Amino acid sequence: MNKPELVTVSFKLNGKKVEAEIPPGRTLLEMLRRDLGLVATKEGCAKGECGACTVIFNGKTLNSCLKLAAQLLPEDEVVTLEGIEKDPLAHRVQKAFVEEGAVQCGFCTPGMVVSSYVLLKETPRPTEEHMKEALSGNLCRCTGYSKIIKAVKRASEE
Amino acid sequence: MTKQLHFARPLSVSEATTLLANHPTARIIAGGTDLLVKWKNGILPDLTHLVDLGNLKLTSIAQEGDHIAIGSGCTMSQIAEHPLVKKKFPALVTAALQVGALQIRNLATLGGNVANASPAGDTIPALLTLEAQVRLAGIKGVRLVPLAKFFTGPGKTEMEAGDLIEAFLIPDRETKGTFFKLGERRAHAISKVSLALSSWAMPGSRIAWRIALGAVAPTVIRARRAETLLEGASESLTEKIIEQACQLVCEEATPISDIRSEKEYRKKMVGVLLKRALEKLKKA
Repeated sequence: MNKPELVTVSFKLNGKKVEAEIPPGRTLLEMLRRDLGLVATKEGCAKGECGACTVIFNGKTLNSCLKLAAQLLPEDEVVTLEGIEKDPLAHRVQKAFVEEGAVQCGFCTPGMVVSSYVLLKETPRPTEEHMKEALSGNLCRCTGYSKIIKAVKRASEE
Repeated sequence: MTKQLHFARPLSVSEATTLLANHPTARIIAGGTDLLVKWKNGILPDLTHLVDLGNLKLTSIAQEGDHIAIGSGCTMSQIAEHPLVKKKFPALVTAALQVGALQIRNLATLGGNVANASPAGDTIPALLTLEAQVRLAGIKGVRLVPLAKFFTGPGKTEMEAGDLIEAFLIPDRETKGTFFKLGERRAHAISKVSLALSSWAMPGSRIAWRIALGAVAPTVIRARRAETLLEGASESLTEKIIEQACQLVCEEATPISDIRSEKEYRKKMVGVLLKRALEKLKKA
């Protein structure tokens, strides 16, 4: 039985330097959940179409299911929901989601929160149209989106 | 994830081209937004190597003589936000901003979108209207291929074993332009039909017009008859000329019916998209 070829990657994760040894085909999402125990980021479609796996990569959101872990460089910074939880803005977003009833099954919520957080960080008072556009990469099968938009609006006004 | 995959991150263009040439079952991975999806869907059963071009730093956008060179590794977001591109190539900005959704745009690259060579690839019509050239690096050296000659069929290009796209060279002009696509949704939708329009001033107060149509032929195509009509018209386009141009693009489109749309709809909508594009440029 061949020993699988492993790649060593080092990068910054939630503010700390980490190193991991992973097979070449492992995605960032798989590495976060399986190897690093960070399970807030969810796998929805594994094809980059639903946004449940959204993380912040060098300040911008991306689908971690489409990023190969092997592609990570030492200067790359990955931030997951676990990494922003203490940020007052993230707290405001989470609180607004709960208060507006924007969470039903909750599976899209981590991705929605991360995307909303990055949106409000860049644009503290976005228009509704802008909010919809910024969240168009995050799908929800439960809420019909209107309460999610209300939540983002609420978080932006507080 | 069944087959043993190898990952390589070559340190130079020549190392990359040699690696690619030596392993025909190797594929370049840039953003991975098309490649990883194909691989997971089992469409690439022979894939053995993933070659990451990150070390080659093909991510700059800069003036190069009388061209603007856009590195193949530039992401859609990077392109749409760059001052040079925003100023000179609005069709490309509009197109880049409609690829996928935000998370995709932060990862997907121009090189990937072009090399994937889908007739529905959103940046391709815009690049075509801007008369882009592809700078390819291969084992025999560097060569330029006009984008208009780059695609040979759906998913097929002029790239040979060992080739990689270094950059896109666009003639340095200040253009007006836009891009429209129709999809099942307003985001995360493969285009059913798309249209790019670019125009710029030429000497003698003439105006150049370039129209490219997506998803209505085996490759993205230029609507040359409509272009000629617009270019022959006097400075401000009359409603009659616009109507005729829209009719011409409908004739020039040769769509098929497939999983995404029907040919009658596609044929009709290219005309509608041209009208919208011309009206938008008029207002600007």
